[in-house]
Amino acid sequence: MTHTPTAPPRKDPDAAPRTARRTGLRWLAVTTAVTLTLLLYGALVHAPQDRLQGPVQRIFYLHVPSAWVGMLAFLVVFVASIGVLMTRSRRWDRVAASSAEVGVVFTTVVILTGMLWARPMWGVFWSWEPRLTSYFVLWLMYVTYLALRSYVVEPDRRARYAAVLGVVAFLNVPLVYVSVRLWRSLHPGPVVANPDGPQLPGEMLAVLLVGIVAFTLLWLLLLWLRVDLAARRDALEAREAMTS
Amino acid sequence: MSTWRAATRIAAKDLRIELRTRDVLTAIGLFALLIVVVTSFSLPTTGVHRDAVAAGVLWMAFLFSILLGVGRAVAMEYEDACIDGLVTSPVPRESIFLGKVLSNLAFVVAVQVLILPIAVVLLQLEPGRGIGLLALTVALATLALVALATLFSTMAVHTRTREVILPVLVVPFAIPVMIAAVKATEVALAGGTPVAATSWLLVLVAGAALFLLLGLATYRHLVEE
Repeated sequence: MTHTPTAPPRKDPDAAPRTARRTGLRWLAVTTAVTLTLLLYGALVHAPQDRLQGPVQRIFYLHVPSAWVGMLAFLVVFVASIGVLMTRSRRWDRVAASSAEVGVVFTTVVILTGMLWARPMWGVFWSWEPRLTSYFVLWLMYVTYLALRSYVVEPDRRARYAAVLGVVAFLNVPLVYVSVRLWRSLHPGPVVANPDGPQLPGEMLAVLLVGIVAFTLLWLLLLWLRVDLAARRDALEAREAMTS
Repeated sequence: MSTWRAATRIAAKDLRIELRTRDVLTAIGLFALLIVVVTSFSLPTTGVHRDAVAAGVLWMAFLFSILLGVGRAVAMEYEDACIDGLVTSPVPRESIFLGKVLSNLAFVVAVQVLILPIAVVLLQLEPGRGIGLLALTVALATLALVALATLFSTMAVHTRTREVILPVLVVPFAIPVMIAAVKATEVALAGGTPVAATSWLLVLVAGAALFLLLGLATYRHLVEE
């Protein structure tokens, strides 16, 4: 056997964790796809028809999980913002920015599905119903958050400012909810039936739970991809700053 | 120097500048008056909903004059780099925030004291017994809005768009305070006492406390250079 002298393979210290991450991402994507398919089947076939609302009620299985994910995403923005203020780490900032972006998308879904449901049920696309209004105000606050990010040029300053906004926005949520509720209850208006009482049939509850799991996984997947993208963007920005 | 004493010194400096130039007061006073006049043309100010419309008109005038005045007063610190002097001086950062809140509050309250009687006449209001609730509402909501606007305008001066973005930043966050202020004012204009608007006053107290405390807690992260 002849020994051919070859250069030892170049050691990439990041290779192993990178492969692990990629595998993790792949599994997350597959699980998300499976549970989303399950949700689709559950929402359209398995769940019984609502006797009063008819097929329109099935939008509930997208609406409620989106609302849940929206709140979860904004909670993560809040936590990551505190992380930015305490550590000044760019990593926290990437998580906050990414979670806010994904949260705004899901909140948009909440508002749109709410409107689609409201049209046949209440006869109007929009009613200033407390929960819908609260989500609208929430949406406005986090769109503002994203707008501020795009207006501040310097990365470190952007991270700090956005973090302050992320903290104020989240702590403002209870105030928004209370004031909107009081505003509607004191204001005479069309009486809005409570669409989701706690007595949900078993099949409906099961599908709802699948929905919440599926949407949480979807959120995790999107957040992961978005944080990855932000990291690459930051690295590129740093490299450009070095070469120029 | 204690936080509070430093804050009053900074506020006194702002008031001294204002007394010499009268830039901010003249601008926001006229602006508030103009909003009352213009909205009176565009909304029905008579009839059963008169008090509700008047409450809305008043708060639109107050909100936008606060945005204009606070935006100007904070941007002023950055002209000739006055803020650098304040940041390097041996006072707590919280004092700068508190001082700006105090001086902004003084400007805005001065304008409100001027505008309220004019609005009462122009909009034919009869608050009568509701005057106490009206004063309380204006005081609490103004404190909340000024604290919020002072905090956010510090960010606005460092954006690409400068002061233009300030209303966009503040208004979504001010919604709960605005709802409570308008509703409590409506009760007051109908002659109600504070007891008739307890929930609204509680929202205003919570808003004022929240924005003031958050301002004190986070301001140092905004001026750190």
